[in-house]
Amino acid sequence: MSRTIVTLAFLGATLGLGVTLPAHAVDGVSDDTVTIGAFGPITGPAAFIGLGGRDGMNLAAKEVNAAGGIHGRRLRILFEDDAHSPSRALAAVKKLVDQDRVFMIFSVAGSNSTVGVIDFVKERQVPMYVSIASAPQVTQPFSKYLFRGGTTEAARYGEIYSEFLTQGLGARRIGFISGRDEFSKNEADAVIRYLRSWFNQEPVKRVEFNIGDKDFTPQLLELKQANPDVIMISGHPAEGAIILRQARELGLNQKFFGSGTMVDNSIPANAKSAAEGFMAAWLTPLYFGSRHPDMVKFETAWRREYPNMPAGRPNVFDLLGYGDLHVVAEGLRRAGPDLTRDKFIAALETLRNWRVSMVATPRTFTPEHHIGNLSLQIMEVKNGEWTPLAWESKRPSDILKHLKK
Amino acid sequence: MSLALNAQLLFSGVSVGSVYALVALGLVMPFKAAGIVNFAQGELVMVGAYIALFLSVGLHLPFHLVVPITMALAAGFGIAIERAFIRPVMRAPEFTIVVATLAVGLMLKNGVRLIWQDNLYPLAVPFSTDVLALGPVRINPLLLYMDGTAIVLMALLALFFRFTRQGKAMRAVAQNPEGARLMGIRVSWVFSATWALSTAMAATAGMLLGALFGIHPEMGHVLIKAFVAAVVGGFVSLPGAVLGGVLVGVAETFSGAYVGSTFKDVVAFLLLIGVLLLRPHGLLGTPLARRV
Repeated sequence: MSRTIVTLAFLGATLGLGVTLPAHAVDGVSDDTVTIGAFGPITGPAAFIGLGGRDGMNLAAKEVNAAGGIHGRRLRILFEDDAHSPSRALAAVKKLVDQDRVFMIFSVAGSNSTVGVIDFVKERQVPMYVSIASAPQVTQPFSKYLFRGGTTEAARYGEIYSEFLTQGLGARRIGFISGRDEFSKNEADAVIRYLRSWFNQEPVKRVEFNIGDKDFTPQLLELKQANPDVIMISGHPAEGAIILRQARELGLNQKFFGSGTMVDNSIPANAKSAAEGFMAAWLTPLYFGSRHPDMVKFETAWRREYPNMPAGRPNVFDLLGYGDLHVVAEGLRRAGPDLTRDKFIAALETLRNWRVSMVATPRTFTPEHHIGNLSLQIMEVKNGEWTPLAWESKRPSDILKHLKK
Repeated sequence: MSLALNAQLLFSGVSVGSVYALVALGLVMPFKAAGIVNFAQGELVMVGAYIALFLSVGLHLPFHLVVPITMALAAGFGIAIERAFIRPVMRAPEFTIVVATLAVGLMLKNGVRLIWQDNLYPLAVPFSTDVLALGPVRINPLLLYMDGTAIVLMALLALFFRFTRQGKAMRAVAQNPEGARLMGIRVSWVFSATWALSTAMAATAGMLLGALFGIHPEMGHVLIKAFVAAVVGGFVSLPGAVLGGVLVGVAETFSGAYVGSTFKDVVAFLLLIGVLLLRPHGLLGTPLARRV
């Protein structure tokens, strides 16, 4: 008799477990939590990317959780530093996936690190939402597991910058000073490619530097000899500020145009008067200090969360991390309460021009492409402040057209 | 390239070299005085810059007070490091001491990160940074301060080691600590004074570097080139450290312009190997004499 009771009890327990198990079978999903693994550089010369991305992302997660979470689940974010190294990024993401068993990966890492983990997340079929990285490998060839959010394609930088330099500024002789890291290299390559294919122009000179360099005299003197109309700096704000200052010191009075990472308050703070007239591209519709209620709301919340930050923060990466974590939250919302990775991917693919507010560009994903954003705004330093230029791109993008072929 | 461009390259090379020289002087100093190769010197440069930042931005002190207070606080900090981390291992093999300085450097860098993170902070200076034109050569006055500071510090240190009792005591301790102790020199005091002096020098370099390039936890990376400069110069020679720094800076700048920017980082190490092959004791160092 007692054996029968024990057997029945065991069967009951097993069946009971069988009923409840599937709800917890997805890595990183429990009844009350969705665990997201994030990575980016918060140490080293590219820390300004990861610090901004992480802080913006955490602020968005806090807002989502304060509003009750998603389908009763709170967002829990585990963050790993990659120091802008592809190998360290891979180790971080392997830990997040295999040890921490996260639901998905969120990258605020920049191109250098992100390219190091692409093969791994594809192989493990873990969705990775890339907030900050323009490397072509994220979206091409197409993978259902990879999404690119706020930063646009390196090729799109090429299209818009080549059009702005030749049509907006009327430059006929364009020189380049570009970093050797993945982002800077890809960006400068793309601009040169579109200068050739769309406008039949060759750069008059291209010189390179390493992230962390402090002296650019040899490169700038080479550019000076080539006598360009406009010089494009493809790199990051720390080097950009020194390049601008040294260029003016060396008597280069040309117009300078910079990367999609360079609209940053640390440029006028560090380059001072040498930054005046410097132009670069910005990845959101509004700039800091705007009186638009959405920007006022963001800046108020950010400063409450992160007091005592230096000049230069919040930066574009805070906005990208913030906007994109809200996109992920919207995807989780649309995926419904029975969350799986496939449902999440399918839900993200239903987003059309979705954004949390005007502090982010609209994101669109479809089953054919996962390129969230194709728009950029050109900005200029005037009286020490970044201000939007009225110029707009008129030439339609070839990027989605090429993808469909 | 034209003469004007070469003159510009020469000035830039000397200026970059004076950055290396300033840090190299801080490396040579504890080696000369206590036989220690201090691999935390780059991080001491960084700590000096952050002290100045705190005084300038946090306490809003004027720059003419920031400089001496930073040097004084840095000197005190150097003594604290020596007492806490270096003195306990002074009797250990040299390799252990080198590893201890590396560990101190890592602790300092990550300690700074805990407070300020890896943000780039500008350090405002009250003097004009308007570019000066000297014929075809354009000069940032901050670089002139850098050049001048390296030369003045070298001269003051050389005088200190040659003519003062404390300087002579430091040299005696470096040569033979036990012998120096028997002659009545307080060896522990000499060690502390050495760290105080070299950390104050590092802070001076940190303030200048911070004003030029901004303040960042990784700014101590300049140590690698400074180490090359010190070895090229002879490691025990103060003028050698300055000469080594200038040679490395000029070689980098000219090779960057004539060979290509990729070559810039290689040339310092080629110079190091070349000098060591031809003069193993460095350009201004003296060969070790051993009685047999």
